[in-house]
Amino acid sequence: MGDYMELMDKLKVLADSAKYDVSCVSSGSSRKNKPGGIGSSMPAGICHTFSGDGRCISLLKILMSNCCIYDCAYCVNRISNDLPRTAFTPDEIADLTINFYRRNYIEGLFLSSAVVKSPDHTMELIIRVVRRLREDYRFNGYIHIKAIPGADAALIEEAGSYVDRMSVNIELPTSDGLRLLAPQKKKEAILGPMGFISSKINETSDNKRRFRNSPEFVPAGQSTQLIVGATEDHDLGILKLSEGLYKRFGMRRVFYSAYVPVSNHPALPQAVKPPLLREHRIYQADWLLRFYGFKAEELLDESHKDFDTQLDPKCDWALRNLEQFPIEVNKADYFLLLRVPGIGVRSAQRIVKARMVQKLDFADIKKLGVVLKRARFFITCKGKYIDKLDASEDFIRINILAGSKQPPMVEPGYTQLSFLPPSNQAMLQGLRPWMALSAPTGEDVAASMTGEL
Amino acid sequence: MLTYIYDGSFEGILTAVFEAFSRKQVPDAILSEHGLQQDITSSYIFIDTDCAKSDRVYNSIWRNISEDALKNCYHAFLSEDPQAGTLIYRYLKLGWRMGSRVDLHLSDNTVFNMMSINRKLEFEVHRLTGFVRFRQVEGGIFYSTISPDNNVVELLAPHFAERLSDQPWIIHDIKREIAALYNTKTWIVSEFSADDIPLSTEDEKLYSVLWKQFFKTLSIPSRENPKLQRQLLPRRYWDHLTEKW
Ligand code: SF4
Repeated sequence: MGDYMELMDKLKVLADSAKYDVSCVSSGSSRKNKPGGIGSSMPAGICHTFSGDGRCISLLKILMSNCCIYDCAYCVNRISNDLPRTAFTPDEIADLTINFYRRNYIEGLFLSSAVVKSPDHTMELIIRVVRRLREDYRFNGYIHIKAIPGADAALIEEAGSYVDRMSVNIELPTSDGLRLLAPQKKKEAILGPMGFISSKINETSDNKRRFRNSPEFVPAGQSTQLIVGATEDHDLGILKLSEGLYKRFGMRRVFYSAYVPVSNHPALPQAVKPPLLREHRIYQADWLLRFYGFKAEELLDESHKDFDTQLDPKCDWALRNLEQFPIEVNKADYFLLLRVPGIGVRSAQRIVKARMVQKLDFADIKKLGVVLKRARFFITCKGKYIDKLDASEDFIRINILAGSKQPPMVEPGYTQLSFLPPSNQAMLQGLRPWMALSAPTGEDVAASMTGEL
Repeated sequence: MLTYIYDGSFEGILTAVFEAFSRKQVPDAILSEHGLQQDITSSYIFIDTDCAKSDRVYNSIWRNISEDALKNCYHAFLSEDPQAGTLIYRYLKLGWRMGSRVDLHLSDNTVFNMMSINRKLEFEVHRLTGFVRFRQVEGGIFYSTISPDNNVVELLAPHFAERLSDQPWIIHDIKREIAALYNTKTWIVSEFSADDIPLSTEDEKLYSVLWKQFFKTLSIPSRENPKLQRQLLPRRYWDHLTEKW
């Protein structure tokens, strides 16, 4: 480690270029340590620290190299940008990962890279790192890598046999946006590897069912990232795209990143501030898709293409669908409970448990974490509203807005509740088959800056 | 007010619970002798810890309520909440009446308090699995300090014994002057004082500086949100975090 300053300089540049990829989570894998090895993964993921912008840091997130042959407008590493260029060697990355891991700084490695020489060459470099970690260091911690669009399927397959998660970033929600801002990337070059990874995952889980020791392939699945606000797309388009990705490619996570102006390309908006509130609303809606059983078309449609900035997407939906309320807390099934503003995943799970032994009233459900300020307009307990109230849309809207601070980045109290250790989550999920829809992990909360809805 | 006093051990609490039943008394509180402030309106009974009695209670929880209930009680004890003894007693009374379904009574105050104490403790354990920071000291040992709200070293040890199984490590709770010590085979918890911690190795400086650099680089200035950061990473943990030194 003689070239200490050199290593430091590389780290500065290559961590800086990687930081706009927001998908820093370590969840979904349960790789166990083996004798003589180092490391393990926790299905719920672990945040090791939080950066100054409040994001969870759990992985050593760096680029292999920033010497790119492409010229994507939104990216700092584009070939036409004047920037110091540098690259790590595979050994340097493996050494950093292991030594950070031994000190419990991180859960593992998130390795990405600019396209060096060619997509295949870049993929080969990445494979050298993961092989060194898994085979020489016998590292069983979390590894997330980028599949480089355009790389050979055989290389992607090889890489996938070593890592926990692979991702291909879409970045721009529509092909129009792609054509304008990333002319060298074709939609097919992104969706191709995505489809390939997803079919490999399916094949592997089929094999797993038949042969217990069949090899792993990205056990924590794949994820992707969309940039919000670099193109003209509406929230509707973005949400529909995410819904499709969850369904068609079995995507584990779609991450959204408010566009941060890092480039002065003429085709890009010269926004001063990243659209954080918009990003927040889309994250909330994404939660509604993943954990609450909503469909994109329920939340937005052609006459309503963007989210209300004042109301969260669930309140907004409920106000447009007042005829579906009130619902009776003691009878409604789990998913119906989840549709009530002010009842989140935790409180709905608790209601379902608690009412097995007694009928609940308002004081009870308040203890279970229901936010009555919002929920009271939409529910009855034992057939009664909390008090005589006017259930018209305007009245409710005014009352809900008056009671909320803007914007509620993380609701106090919720983060704590959501950090149930994995065993408890498993227990809750075993309770009722419908809960298999999965509950958000602590990392979900921390990574998405979204509280219970 | 009738108050039972126990010696501060888990067995002490269970013995007190046993005594309440066998003496047919209903104590208003079961408090630890540590940090006890007596007042003249209460009458105090000091309970001598007796392992034969505490074992009977222990087995009865396991058999007649549930394994979860046993875990809940033990974790409540580890929380060091002054009310833990009283809470465990009330929770067990309910538990013996309701059996394993006791934990479904979430809107009952006793069950609710039991669950929140447990949740706080489990949350802290979960956080610390991420927040513990080791530094390598001479002799190749990885040493870390913590000062958690709950007494959790013994709950952290299994996680690190699996994960970092090939390196000796120490997790030192400086608040309680105890530590989990691991020698690459087994771990134990013992009393521990900070006097004889060896110096850090040369490598150590290199990696901690690199880590600090990485941490600094990651924040996106236009998204700066110190309030959120403090909410997720409360100040009281900062002293032990390499990136905050
Ligand atoms: S290929 Fe990747 S690194 Fe290269 S310019 Fe495009 S986004 Fe940036």
